[in-house]
Amino acid sequence: MFCTIKSPARRRLIRSSLIGAALLVLLAVGVAESFRFWHLKGLPAYVVAVLPALPILWFIVEWGRFLAAEKDEFQRNLLVQCLLWGTGGTLATTTIWGYLEDYAHAPHLNLIFVFPLFCIFMAIAKFLVQLRYR
Amino acid sequence: MKNRLKVLRAERDWSQGDLAQRLEVSRQSVNAIETGKFDPSLPLAFKLARLFERPIEEIFSDEEGTKDVVTRD
Repeated sequence: MFCTIKSPARRRLIRSSLIGAALLVLLAVGVAESFRFWHLKGLPAYVVAVLPALPILWFIVEWGRFLAAEKDEFQRNLLVQCLLWGTGGTLATTTIWGYLEDYAHAPHLNLIFVFPLFCIFMAIAKFLVQLRYR
Repeated sequence: MKNRLKVLRAERDWSQGDLAQRLEVSRQSVNAIETGKFDPSLPLAFKLARLFERPIEEIFSDEEGTKDVVTRD
């Protein structure tokens, strides 16, 4: 992600991210198809609907574990910078969009796009941070 | 914060990668510290001091501190 010699913590983060991304795609498609075919309602609908959110929670836990396990303080600092830019960008965008929805009749932003938005801001931040420390 | 890492490294004929390996950090970390873009924590500064067998203040110098001394003189 940030360096060529990968620490055990970084290797774990990369592995978890790949598995998490694959699970997210599988569950998102699977849940959409389940609702299309079975028209789930009530408690089963709640249980199945929440499944695609689980890999996202796993991502967040894995970032925390990386920050706790990574011995290289500079690498921890890089991730923290990306997380902060991701959080700031997401908060700013969703807040502005919220007001646009309320007063300017902008189209509704589905909350499931908040995490992808966060990831986009993190990716932009990672690119800029990498440029700075190249 | 200024530092003499590049000089100390050159004296030993170590590459950034060699130093990174000895410190158990990434080469990118060594580069960031060396170029003054990242200030290491006290434990990492002590580790560097032990590795180069020099006191910390011989490796790192605080620009503000230097300014103070000049002003007092």
